[in-house]
Amino acid sequence: MIWLKAFFFAFVAAVSFGVLFQCPKRMLWPGGLIGGVGWVVFTGLKGQDVSSFSANFAATVCVALLSELAARRFHQPVTVFNIPAVIPLVPGLGMYRGMYYILENAGSYGTEILLSAVMDACAIALGIMMVGGIFRALKKSHDLARYKTEDRLGTSGSPALYVLTAEEEEARNAASEREEMANRRHARETLQKAEEQKTKEEEA
Amino acid sequence: MADGILDTRGNGMTKSQVMDIAMDMGRILLKSGAETSRVEDTMMRFCRSHGYYDLNVFCTPTVIILGDESAHGKSRVFRVRWRAIDLGLIMDINNLSYNFKPWGMTYGKAKEWMRERIRRSHPYGNLLVSLASGVGSAAFAMLLGGNWHDFVAAFLCGFAAMGVLKLLNKLHPTAFWENFIAGLVIGFIALACCKADRNCTMQNIIVGALMPFLPGLPFTNGVRDYIGGDLLSGNSRIAEAVLFALSIAVGLAFAVKVWTWGGLR
Repeated sequence: MIWLKAFFFAFVAAVSFGVLFQCPKRMLWPGGLIGGVGWVVFTGLKGQDVSSFSANFAATVCVALLSELAARRFHQPVTVFNIPAVIPLVPGLGMYRGMYYILENAGSYGTEILLSAVMDACAIALGIMMVGGIFRALKKSHDLARYKTEDRLGTSGSPALYVLTAEEEEARNAASEREEMANRRHARETLQKAEEQKTKEEEA
Repeated sequence: MADGILDTRGNGMTKSQVMDIAMDMGRILLKSGAETSRVEDTMMRFCRSHGYYDLNVFCTPTVIILGDESAHGKSRVFRVRWRAIDLGLIMDINNLSYNFKPWGMTYGKAKEWMRERIRRSHPYGNLLVSLASGVGSAAFAMLLGGNWHDFVAAFLCGFAAMGVLKLLNKLHPTAFWENFIAGLVIGFIALACCKADRNCTMQNIIVGALMPFLPGLPFTNGVRDYIGGDLLSGNSRIAEAVLFALSIAVGLAFAVKVWTWGGLR
């Protein structure tokens, strides 16, 4: 019964964060479900005396895996499901308690809690990055198998894209020259027309 | 605008038209909160799909530079000062860059499509977003083990803080002031609720109400940028996330100090 209550409130929280981030209506409930699952995993693991870092990491990995699946199912980018679902896991409590104790002059205890909160945030980021990286690597190997060599556009890929042969470079520069000359001619003509217009108005 | 000899490849768009649309896409993405790699990938994919391989993009959270590597190439710079997260818009513009083969739209139609889409952006109005913020805060307060009194109090805090922020939108306050004011409002209302009602726990209410304002998205995007190799954007986004968190804490502390100073504790 407690799990159901936790799942329901995590679902509501994730859906309302989806609305906050202006997610389209059809994508709200998958994000909510994934957020609910993530929260249940997190509290379940914490109940088993797993460290906060590992619990956050495991929950985030679950969330990221499910949102990758949802992204493929609904043909949308992963962030639409990822971001609202991960927000309940973000360590707001740790941050608040840390700041509170620091302000109440219990500095060392406060920084301890704050450090733990920062580690949790890093665990979340690590979880997202790892799952994202695995899926990107899978996609790249899938693409390579189909003879596509461009991945992250503009940063890698075959050198043929960026080292032009002499003729290609000539042609590119020539086209650019022509465009530049035409632009200058057009600008000159526009200026002449404007001047003629002005002299006509002055005469009239 | 004179484009000289119509050096068109692919769908009949000249280079400056392609640069125009790419700049528009990048600007919309950045203003909606996309991460650096997504902005750069979208713009590059669009440029390359139209056959122009000598265009290059540099993007940080506040600037986009689209440059032309050829001789006499022109570059465009766009500076972003005000960002509001809109995941739906990111989705649509991202999909637009994939739908280029065959891209039925001419230059004019594409600009019109984007203008129309921007008009439809931010589909949830201020009231709905404030309500959602309240509901999210309340649900989170329950998740932390609060009771129904905490639920109502956290709802009030979240709703009021987000409502105040949306009302102040026209003044375009910087991120620091936004979060500071949010922390202030949350602090005051939470203190008032706890004074009025014995069953409320300060901690649950405040942490619940904080959640919509915590920088989860900038932090995640920052680490993503960092590991993806964009050190500049990663650093700036993580610094931004830390700034947000600190400013909320300062706002809360300020509220508590003013409350106790007024002798109302």
